[in-house]
Formats: sequence, structure tokens, C-alpha cells
Amino acid sequence: MNREILFLFLRKELRDLRGNRQVWPAYLILSVVAAGLPVLMMALLPVLLDPARSGNDPALALLHDTVAADPSLVGATPAERVARLLLRDLGIFYLFIAVILASTSAALALVREKEQRTLEPILATPIRDRDLLLAKLLASLGPAMLATWAAALAGTVAGMLGSWWRIGVVILPTGGNLLGLLFLAPALAALAALLALRVSARFTDVPSATQFTGLVVVPTALVMVAIVGRPAMADPLVTLTSAAVVAAIAAWFFFRSVRRFRREEILTRWR
Amino acid sequence: MIAAKGLSKNFGEHRAVEALDFHVPAGALCALLGPNGAGKTTTVRLLLGLLTPTEGRAEVAGVSLPAADAAAARLRARAGFLTESPGFYDKVNGRENLEIFARLYGLTGVDLSRRVEHWLRRMDLWEARDRPFATWSKGMKQRLALIRAVIHEPEVIFLDEPTAGLDPAASREVRDLIAGFRREGRTILLCTHNLAEAAELADLVGILRRRMLAFGAPGTLSSVRPEVEITLSVDAAPMARLLGGMAGVDECRAEGSILRCTLVDIVRDTPHVVRTLVGLGADLLSVRPRVPSLEEIYLRAVREDHS
Repeated sequence: MNREILFLFLRKELRDLRGNRQVWPAYLILSVVAAGLPVLMMALLPVLLDPARSGNDPALALLHDTVAADPSLVGATPAERVARLLLRDLGIFYLFIAVILASTSAALALVREKEQRTLEPILATPIRDRDLLLAKLLASLGPAMLATWAAALAGTVAGMLGSWWRIGVVILPTGGNLLGLLFLAPALAALAALLALRVSARFTDVPSATQFTGLVVVPTALVMVAIVGRPAMADPLVTLTSAAVVAAIAAWFFFRSVRRFRREEILTRWR
Repeated sequence: MIAAKGLSKNFGEHRAVEALDFHVPAGALCALLGPNGAGKTTTVRLLLGLLTPTEGRAEVAGVSLPAADAAAARLRARAGFLTESPGFYDKVNGRENLEIFARLYGLTGVDLSRRVEHWLRRMDLWEARDRPFATWSKGMKQRLALIRAVIHEPEVIFLDEPTAGLDPAASREVRDLIAGFRREGRTILLCTHNLAEAAELADLVGILRRRMLAFGAPGTLSSVRPEVEITLSVDAAPMARLLGGMAGVDECRAEGSILRCTLVDIVRDTPHVVRTLVGLGADLLSVRPRVPSLEEIYLRAVREDHS
């Protein structure tokens, strides 16, 4: 891998991101939501614990059943158990953020080059297929992961402060949360970004690429998050195993994409 | 330096170029002429390894095509390409735009900075270097694209419509630069509709309309024979009829007092025709060999292909 090319694209994507009104609002909104959600959850804790409400509300009843069935929460007060469960499962939201941001950036990575008519001059340089795809992938993944980790840090601090404020206990992130952020989130985001990169390369304009990514790639990736997210947040071993499996799928998909990458298709389909 | 053998490219049912055979030696400038949709850009893309030929093969700068990714990358390191539209980032300034592509060509550090400054100064773009690309004039953009095509000092340069859409002064500037690259000994393939440009710059001309209709030095394109134009003092029609059947004369026609004869060999047959006319008692006011212009050659070739 040519590091010079990687950093070149990374710098360029970061610069593009700053001026791209289609992408940076997503970064901003999701980060603000990530920081605000734990505070909101802790603020609503008395409502969630109200026995009168849980009798009538099936969602609240499900929450209490889940808390009761989770052996890792045994021994704490009812309020702390609910708070721990909510903050632990909030980790899934950070996986969503990573997937959405990475796939949105990746969807634009090639199509914006097409729109600016810079793709053909790039393809006419000695850049190798593998280097181009990896540079585009990492340039989408890098900012998305930085934003995810920043949002998670803000959310974790907000959760710790919120739990101390509501129940007098500082709830720290679980091992599953931390390993999920460090390993599972990048693996899922990489897979989603690769899917978005591959699919969006067929489009000629940014709106079509983002719409298709939003309608097909993001939901597909979110289903994956939904499947692996909850078990992974609860058990560090599941987190690491899921991360390894998703990373392996992403690596396989990357090498398959490199093998199938045809400059010709990209050049001739967008005219 | 550039050789194509039976090179063809289909896009689905559509045949974009067919059985191209040509050779451009090192240091020559070859102009590829053809109407819109003739396959000029497809040919360049094939020769750069950006497209895979449906049939045939080519060799450019020592690399055989079709080629695998690594070999194609080697070829592209030795070749420069001026695309039809400049293709730079609008919000990025000119210098940084150039640096991005120069890095993709493998230039780094002091060498990169030195070359960028050298070329921006040489092309008179140094003062504008920190302005966003979007604010540059069309001529400036085209000059920057030309720098991108040569900054890595390629052996072969492909220029796709380098003066399209430029005003006469900017076109002149670009043509002078191309002539400069040629003097430096680079092999150049120039795609253009501009016949005057081709006539001025090219050592070799190819007329392309899906197939290569004609290929050679501008004066020796095989499909068209030179004429001799003889002005008489009287109506030339009777003489045209007499010369029509003569050995060495392909065709003879009269336009008022002017006789136009297409000869098999203009050097060998012109004196013979003149002697015959004098022998027949004609008064000759002038005898002028007339080599067809590139425009005539082009139009005839395209017309013949069309019919």
C-alpha cells in the first residue's frame, strides 16, 4: 500500500467533508444526538421505573423483563439495573453512527470524482486498483470513526454524569461497549463503506448515489448492526468474535472488489 | 513507441473502433483526426490501458496491451494524458490541484515542489497559483491540465482535444506548448477536429472514423493523389477530353480555362502532360502542382467512407 496516496486521499476527503453540505450535517446531528441521548435516558429513568406505567405499556414491560432476565445485572438496585442496561445498549447506537457515516462518505467517494470529472485523470495515473480502493475506503472510514469515537466519548461522559445525577452511581462503559467501539464498529463501518463504494460507483450523480445508499446499503448494514449489536454489547467475547467475523467478511469483500474493479466500467457507465 | 495491431473495441452491440493498425515512432507527433464519435477518445483510452480491447493488441512505451493492473500502472507512469475536460477540484487552488495529481504520478518532496513551481512559472500560472481552480479562465485551466500531462516527464503524451473551446490566443499558446513538447523528443498522440492544428503540428496523420481511413505523413496519405493545375489561354474542355485517355493520367477535368489532372506520378508525368499540350498547340499560362490540403484529404476520406 502506498502510504503517500493513502494520506493524499485522506487529506482530500477531510477537506471535501468540511465543505460538503450533504455529509457534515449527518456528522453533526448524530454526534449531538449521541451526547444528548444518555442524558435524556437518565432524565426519563423515573418514568421508566414507574410501576403504574409498566403495567400498561408493553414496551416498558419488555424492558423490565429484559432487565430481570439479564444475569450480568443481578445484585444492583432496580434503578441501577435499568440504567446499566440502557447505557450498555446505547453502544449499539454508536455502531449505527459508524455505519451511517462511513457508508454516506463512501457513497460519495467515487461519484463526486465523476461529477467533478476528476475520475478519468485519476484513473490515468499509475495508481493501482488496490491502492485507489483502499485509499477511498480508509478516507471514508477515518473521519467516520473519529466522529463515532468522539460521539461515544461525549455520550459516555454524559451517561456517567447522568447516572450519578439520577441514581448516585457512576456507570462506566462495559467491556463489550469498549471492545465494540474499538473493533466491531470499524469492522461494520468498513463493510458498509465497501458496499456503498461498490454500489455507488455505478451512479453518475451524487443524489442517485446517496439515495440508493440510503435505501439499500444503510438498511442492510443496520440489519447487521441489529443482529450482532445487542449480544456484542453484553459479552466481550461475542464482541471480539463478531468483530473478527465481520472484519474477515470485509477483507474478503475488499479483495473481491479489487479483483472485480474495472476502470472501463467506471469510465463508460457514467457518461 | 505506439503500435496498434487489429485494435477493436465494442461497447455491447456498438463497435466503437475497428481493426486499427498503426505505428507512431518515438519522437513523432501523430494527429488523430475524425468527426465526433469517430472513436478518438476510445482509441486513447485503449492505448492507456483504461479500456480493454475486444480484439487486437497494442504496445505503448514498451508495455503490451491488454495488460494486467501492474503493467498498466507501469504504462501510465510513462504516459501523460490530457483529458477532454480539465478535471480538477474546483474548490482547491491551482497549485494544490497540481500537487495532488503529481503525487499520484509518484512525485514527492523537493522534486515535487521544484517541478510544480517550474511548470506553473513556465505556463504563466504562478501568480494565480493560490486562487481556487473554479475562478481560473478556460485557457488557464487547460494549461494546468497540460502541466498535469507532462509534469512526470512521460515518454508518451496523449492529448484529447487540447484546444477545444479555447479562444484563438489561448489555442495558439497551447499549440506552441505542444510544439515545444515535440521538440523535446516526446512521442505525442493528438486527437483533434482542428485540421489546421494537425497540419501545423503533425508528422503523421490518422483519419479515423471507427476504422482508420488513412494514415501516414500529411503529404503522402495514400488514398489521395496529387493534382497538377494547368492554366490555358483558352477554354480547357477540349484538352481535358484529349488528355483523359493518356497514360499516366488518372483523371482530367476542365474548369473554364483551368485544367486539373490527377496523375499517377506527379514528378514523372507532369513534363509529359506539358509536352503533349504544347504539341497540341495550347498556350500554357501556368503549371502548378497542387498537393491536396489536409482538409481536402480528410473530407474526401470521410465522404468516401460515408458513401
